[in-house]
Amino acid sequence: MVGLSVGEKHFIQGGIAQDLRTDGRRRLTYRPFNVETGVIPQANGSARVRLGGTDVIASVKAELGKPSPSQPDKGKVNIYVDCSPTAAPMFEGRGGEELSTELSGALQHCLLGGKSGAGAGIDLSSLVVVEGKVCWDLYIDGLVVSSDGNLLDALGAAIKAALTNTGIPKVEVAVGASGDGLPEVDISDDEYLQFDTSGVPVIVTLTKVGRHYIVDATLEEESQMSSAVSVSVSGQGRICGLIKRGGAGLDPSVILDMISVAKHVSEQLMNKLDSEISAAEACEEES
Amino acid sequence: MEFVSPEGLRLDGRRPMEMRQIRGEIGAVAKADGSAFFEMGNTKVIAAVYGPREVENRSQQISDQALVRCEYTMANFSTGDRVRKPKGDRRSTEISLVIRQTMEACILTHLMPRSQIDIFVQVLQADGGTRSACINAATLALADAGIPMRDLVTSCSAGYLNSTPLLDLNYVEDSAGGPDVTVGILPKLDKVTLLQMDAKLPMDIFENVMQLAIEGCKAIANYIRELLLENTKQLEYRRGP
Repeated sequence: MVGLSVGEKHFIQGGIAQDLRTDGRRRLTYRPFNVETGVIPQANGSARVRLGGTDVIASVKAELGKPSPSQPDKGKVNIYVDCSPTAAPMFEGRGGEELSTELSGALQHCLLGGKSGAGAGIDLSSLVVVEGKVCWDLYIDGLVVSSDGNLLDALGAAIKAALTNTGIPKVEVAVGASGDGLPEVDISDDEYLQFDTSGVPVIVTLTKVGRHYIVDATLEEESQMSSAVSVSVSGQGRICGLIKRGGAGLDPSVILDMISVAKHVSEQLMNKLDSEISAAEACEEES
Repeated sequence: MEFVSPEGLRLDGRRPMEMRQIRGEIGAVAKADGSAFFEMGNTKVIAAVYGPREVENRSQQISDQALVRCEYTMANFSTGDRVRKPKGDRRSTEISLVIRQTMEACILTHLMPRSQIDIFVQVLQADGGTRSACINAATLALADAGIPMRDLVTSCSAGYLNSTPLLDLNYVEDSAGGPDVTVGILPKLDKVTLLQMDAKLPMDIFENVMQLAIEGCKAIANYIRELLLENTKQLEYRRGP
């Protein structure tokens, strides 16, 4: 996919070693990004995030469903990611499936916490309408339109923006519903509930190239990586999830170091993202 | 159901011969050789072109012309109800084929023997007329990639409901069960390259409906030509003196 000559490889590696990357960034600087919300009017919430040459869309759809018997007091959230062939010819046909599955899995780890729902960035109990009977099922779909590295961070940011943009219709439960059958519900058309997304984490991926690690790697830089660690950090500075990818092993002390760097970087990213999201929301309301 | 009110207005407030708002944008995908975004009302598609490049699968190579390939995909969130369809269902395969044949007719394939051109179209939101929107987006993307073409291809649909010919059907009108004529033309050469219709229609009315669709195609062609001119001017400006 990325064809690089020996000279180009040296140039990328040397630049990273000297803290001046090929596009003029430093090791821990993100590319400029922009957020647009409400791009898919048919969905309950949606957002498009452009991070340099990477372009992703996330949409949130809510459907009424039944909570799982083991967790009657919690709603369900599913995350799926699709890689469009427009991003790269290799995603044609079933070619993108492997990467899609990897990304969906990573996002589920980073945003939804464990099986019990503990540590989830989204408050699952706020999705319940009638305990044990009716709850909202959230379907979060990510679509990679254009890929220039660091897809996971971009998708994480897009999902956070889409959730902020999401309005769940207010549901009235008919009074006197009988015990056994499904209670009758009335979905309101004009009253919407917004999510509190301050707890939704951001994902920071540190890519190790040579002896150093960088944030927000481009496709060319990713092709030179030995391993990558994705850390999801919530607004309170808590680590919500951790994934290591790539073949090479890492020294445990390096991992701890990476986590503390990721935590530091995530604060800036979170602030930038929050201001971008509120700007996008304001822009959408105006139009 | 009433699709045209007594005042002569359609469900979304348009007149029978009125098109939806169209909008195009060149360069939607940074890594592609050519790309475009095209919007017809609520139908939104992205097209990306890769090539001309070396043929990936040697056995498909054609010695005297370029191989044109096309893939049409719909995003999970593109339709009103969320459905997770497996890739390569029959509908997408059929539309891929239609787009490929239409685009192949206008690309000067004999100039690029033994090479391959890939056209990928991604539907972000579907509200009727995805076929037409995809063809219009693909034309823009091909022009952006600088691929030699005979002419632009533009496409538009028209239908016939409540004894009125209607231009550019939306999803509700499309699923009403009336005839749906999709036409693709080469506007300068004045040739039809794509014609599809379902349901039946008397000959004389068909002529009217098709003429209406052709008028729609021509309007889109004017818009696309303006867009490309504007884009070229910008490129020239950026290049400097």
